[in-house]
Amino acid sequence: MANSHAWQVGSQEDNLLYKYGDSGSQRASERAAQMVSEGAPAVGDTAPAPGNAPAFDTSVAHVARVYNYWLGGKDNFAADRAAAQQAMAAFPDIVHSARANRAFLRRAVTYLAGTAGIRQFLDIGTGIPSANNTHEVAQAVAAECRIVYVDNDPVVLAHARALLTSTSEGATDYIDADLRNADEILAKAAETLDFGKPVAVMLMAILQHISDEQDPYAVVARLMAAVPAGSYLALSHPAKDIHAAEMAAMANRLNQTMAEKVTFRTKSEVAPFFAGLELIEPGMKNVPDWRPETAEEASSPAALWSGVARKP
Amino acid sequence: MSVVQRPGDEPQDELSAEVISGPTVLRILLGGQLRRLREAAGITPDRAGYEIRASRSKISRVEHGRVSFKERDVADLLTLYGVSDEDERRRMLNLAQRANSPGWWSKYDDVMPDWFETYIGLEQATSLIRTYELQFIPGLFQTEEYARAVTVLGHRSASAAEIERRVSLRLQRQRILTKPEGLPKVWAVIDESALRRPLGGRDVMRTQLCRLLELTELPHVTLQVMPFDRGGHSVAGGSFSILRFAEPDLPDIVYIEQLTGALYLDRPEETDHYREVMNSLSAEAEPPAESRRQLKKLIDTI
Repeated sequence: MANSHAWQVGSQEDNLLYKYGDSGSQRASERAAQMVSEGAPAVGDTAPAPGNAPAFDTSVAHVARVYNYWLGGKDNFAADRAAAQQAMAAFPDIVHSARANRAFLRRAVTYLAGTAGIRQFLDIGTGIPSANNTHEVAQAVAAECRIVYVDNDPVVLAHARALLTSTSEGATDYIDADLRNADEILAKAAETLDFGKPVAVMLMAILQHISDEQDPYAVVARLMAAVPAGSYLALSHPAKDIHAAEMAAMANRLNQTMAEKVTFRTKSEVAPFFAGLELIEPGMKNVPDWRPETAEEASSPAALWSGVARKP
Repeated sequence: MSVVQRPGDEPQDELSAEVISGPTVLRILLGGQLRRLREAAGITPDRAGYEIRASRSKISRVEHGRVSFKERDVADLLTLYGVSDEDERRRMLNLAQRANSPGWWSKYDDVMPDWFETYIGLEQATSLIRTYELQFIPGLFQTEEYARAVTVLGHRSASAAEIERRVSLRLQRQRILTKPEGLPKVWAVIDESALRRPLGGRDVMRTQLCRLLELTELPHVTLQVMPFDRGGHSVAGGSFSILRFAEPDLPDIVYIEQLTGALYLDRPEETDHYREVMNSLSAEAEPPAESRRQLKKLIDTI
């Protein structure tokens, strides 16, 4: 323990000084990047089945932690940082894109809780808590908002339970379920949400983890069938046809480094998620173009189709 | 001092320092900035040391935030590093000034070893404290009577007056749970044995458990109980804490208290491992709502 890596207070040894940011941290990321280039952490027979990689296993990049890295968070590990950096090498604007997606979430929830008067939110694919989480944005508009967060990862859920706590007027609940099991989600969410009243279903940058074979359209249709008229769907989805070459290269790299595989989709492939719903203005847009509030938001590079639609 | 540079990161400026209170973290922050400036200017620690009439190791201590700064030294270093912009110089000097003003805890010097003063300095500036406790109720959650019982256990030969000073320091630390702004989130996993061991007697313990239950009502306090039958395989060692700072440039710090000192870890290779263990513990322990139920049951049966 008492080697040069530690800051042993009380020791007079100069080589035990508190060391920040010297070559140590850089070595870690270099080593991690090297591991990825050698395909060590994720690729091969030992990779867990898609969607079943628990965040316990930090030797394999995990989508929630990779996203956390892009957002500037500290809840990530060497394999995540390496995978995130690999993706950035293919599509450098992914960092802006991820942040633009969070900004879209904030604007969409502000609209839903504000103009649309929604008081119930079903947020599937919570991820590691960041700034402007759904319940914070919604409850800032109306403190009585009730939010159910859904994720399929025990560590992500532990973070959500600890860090995404409700106002006393409203409620937050956390469900351990997979998006592919819409019925399970709906049954558990009914303990907190009243499905006789409008609900905003939120699917922010998560449907790319459901392959075409797993029929993501049926999943969304099942969710929207369970909510009454006046409910909303707010959705974002990584685009295959914006910065197409870079996005294809990034998808390739993510699929090599992460347990959860991704399928990016074109605008015409994302549009059917809104089938039977009425898109509110301005329709389906790249996230920065969906009701940006500042010139800076509007000019952010990004590659995600997004929209908010009402169930008639 | 930066850990990993990423595209999209904004350059650090004095704004982020504004949100941080406490000289310990300000020293680390200023030290890191001086280090970056020195490296950017291509100046060796020896040369920088010469400039301020000091040794290479003094520069190292300054850059790691271990010692306080003389404003004249900071000014000389800034000149050496080619920082001539008046605003930037003023910002850095202002930071140095604030980093030199003592924290409220400095008046407890008599009962506080240096290693613990460092911890308190860091604790007062955190945005998130995650702690795993096997033996005791975490210090931030202790009632006065429980704190006294623990203190007496640890300092059997201390005078009554010294015990009271120590208890008073512990209670002062708890002000970060109620300060008007910049509240840190405290997320604790407490082993069932710490909840059952009746330090100070049953009455003291019952009051302590009631206090814990009250604290769980606070939105920024999360408590998870680790039942006896779980968690054993996650922790080879004992209790530890992870401190996180709002400042994006400051890495997490793992704090492990030992009998005669403390260990602070800040390298990703090491802190990653502790974070991983803490994540497993948090996922294995009872969720907050169930933990509250268990706490109520314990209070009824004690």
